[in-house]
Amino acid sequence: MVILMYVRLSQMREGERGTVVDVRGGHRARQRLLGMGIAPGTKIVVIKTGFPGPYIIALGSTRLALGRGIAERIIVRREQ
Amino acid sequence: MNECHDLKYISKNKKQGLRVIALAGNPNVGKTTIFNGLTGLRQHVGNWPGVTVEKKEGILKYHDKEFLVIDLPGTYSLTASSIDELIARNFLLGSNADVVVDIVDSSSLMRNLFLTMEIFEMGIKNVIIALNKIDIAKKRGISFDVKKMEKVIGVPVIPTNAKSGEGVEELKAMISGMAEGKATTNPITPIYDEPIEQEIGHISGVLSETPLAQWYNVRWLAIKLLTRDQEVIKLVLNYLGPKKMDEILIHISELERYYKHPLDIVIANQKYEFIDKLMHQFVIHFGEVHETFSDCMDKILTHPLYGIFTLLGVFYLLFKFVFTIGTPLQEFLDNTFVSFGQLIAPHIGNETLRGLIVNGIIGGVGSVLSFFPLVFLLFVAMSILEDSGYMARAATVMEKIMRIFGLPGKSFIPMVLAFGCNVPAIMSTRTLEDERDRILTMLVNPLVPCSARMVVITFLTGVFFSKHKALVAVGIYAISLFLALLSALILGKFVIKGEESPFVMELPEYAIPSWKIALIHSWERSKEFLRKAGTVILFGSIAIWYLSSYPQAMGSGLSYAEKLGKVFEPFTMLMGLDWKAAVSLIFGIIAKENVIATYGVIYGIGENEEALIMLMRVAMTSLQAFVLALVTTLYIPCIATIGAIRAEGGNKWATVAVIYNLLLSSIIGVLVYNIGLFLGL
Repeated sequence: MVILMYVRLSQMREGERGTVVDVRGGHRARQRLLGMGIAPGTKIVVIKTGFPGPYIIALGSTRLALGRGIAERIIVRREQ
Repeated sequence: MNECHDLKYISKNKKQGLRVIALAGNPNVGKTTIFNGLTGLRQHVGNWPGVTVEKKEGILKYHDKEFLVIDLPGTYSLTASSIDELIARNFLLGSNADVVVDIVDSSSLMRNLFLTMEIFEMGIKNVIIALNKIDIAKKRGISFDVKKMEKVIGVPVIPTNAKSGEGVEELKAMISGMAEGKATTNPITPIYDEPIEQEIGHISGVLSETPLAQWYNVRWLAIKLLTRDQEVIKLVLNYLGPKKMDEILIHISELERYYKHPLDIVIANQKYEFIDKLMHQFVIHFGEVHETFSDCMDKILTHPLYGIFTLLGVFYLLFKFVFTIGTPLQEFLDNTFVSFGQLIAPHIGNETLRGLIVNGIIGGVGSVLSFFPLVFLLFVAMSILEDSGYMARAATVMEKIMRIFGLPGKSFIPMVLAFGCNVPAIMSTRTLEDERDRILTMLVNPLVPCSARMVVITFLTGVFFSKHKALVAVGIYAISLFLALLSALILGKFVIKGEESPFVMELPEYAIPSWKIALIHSWERSKEFLRKAGTVILFGSIAIWYLSSYPQAMGSGLSYAEKLGKVFEPFTMLMGLDWKAAVSLIFGIIAKENVIATYGVIYGIGENEEALIMLMRVAMTSLQAFVLALVTTLYIPCIATIGAIRAEGGNKWATVAVIYNLLLSSIIGVLVYNIGLFLGL
């Protein structure tokens, strides 16, 4: 099986770590994510995937809940 | 209009002669706790001018000196993308503050310093960093060299734990010193890649030749132009004209092609990298991310099934708490005012004056004050849920369901509270960050039947549908809830413009709420309700008193109220309701339970319930009774609710709410009545 290095946040599994490389989407949504710390270069840990319910990710000791739509727009480089 | 103040907000507080301390910081960093620590009980809650965003002010006393502390809205950054951010940004741009205290969460420093950098980039120098939640950072294995941090960042840094009060005295001393010009600072600002720096240099050069250079930091304007900040583009356009502006925009597009990304991403990325480098100079241990107990709780509490069950349980307890204590208090206050009126009535000789004072003023003040316990208790309960961290989970679990109707998950809370009373429900909309969401939730809120309307619904269904009364009552609830959600969908599409806010929510650490803080807040907020909604309610009840007493008292058929009812009759007859119903509905505006009581007054039988039931059964068919119950539920919100909408959203939205509800109830009333007739009911 080939493990992709670059995935959407929505494709990551629980407990996986990675670094955000891109944030897509409209200006407004992007502004909000960038300010909240989801910007290229920030390290994240997936606490909970979106099935069922929202995604929960950790940025340091901060926890963020995200909808599926947003999780699709965040591109992450997986940590091996 | 003064163009140079396009972006700046100039506070009136300057005139009071007090030095101004502004608190800035991300949401959930303990800003409110620091605010309370600095000001104690000397605080006041209001709104920022023209918007529905809460503004907290307080007085800080340090030795013999006094300072005015203003709590800016909690924001993650200072873009033009939300009202909260614009308020904070415009306030800071206006140089209103003698000292800015930037409160950062030391357990999540990287993200918090992002805002710090934005403040520094504006050219603001008098900044103190309160390194808050130092206890949590320690627990996570994070440690700092504070002296080094001060040197690297360039401003004083005070470690604090606002909950325990640690560091608050040192913070006060530093504020006082800096306000008197005793501290020199040298805030560090991010340096970007060469191509971006070149462009910043170029734009700054152009802007330096305009008057803008006197009022703004040109480097800040240049950076904001690169991120295509709409407000800044508009401002700069005024001074440069379209030709030069186009040149700049072309440069920006070239740069975006070079980076293959919009520049806001590139700049945010480089800002975070810059912060990361800074942090490596003063952070001793970074700590590791581990799954915590709170994460396990979150998995359950945000689960679509278990989460919703928990939510129902929590809100059941909340209502139980509020109404068990609140209802007796409400009745007590109500009775006290009635007795007080009766007591002083004989002592007023002049009949007009007596009516005005007893029925108009005392009745009005009484109905305002009798709301106070419910409003206060609901605020206490909400404030405790908020401080415990549960509210963010409740909003998360409801997100999917509410989103179907174009509302965010958080708007579920005001909708639930409305079953109790719409007044605190509407006031609780201020916990929604987005202006569009807030107004929308406020407008559809009155369609959720409150406990006063339950009285009318159960009375009418009981009298006219003895066999199926429960079913009919549930039907009325279902229709109004359906209309509330449908209205949200329609108003959200056509009346209130604006993009739906994307769903990202911080789940703050669970915490044991402080009773003291909950009580202070609730007291402040309920007082504000009294002040703002109070005037509307008072004038409303004086007007109603006048209509019902002149030129002759109700029951004579000659009062203005009854005449007014007859004026409306041709219209209400379209839904099968005669002038008596019209009069009742007018009085229902004061408080919806009045609809039934008014019938008693018109028939001249007072509160004799059996006689009333008999007379009403003769006077109307069950179809008409159904329509009356439905229309009572849907038409104009009661005066207290209108007052609350006005207090939170301003005159414009209060007017929209009244007109919308009136239109909706008329359409539904006419429709239901005629369909009923057609079906032969």
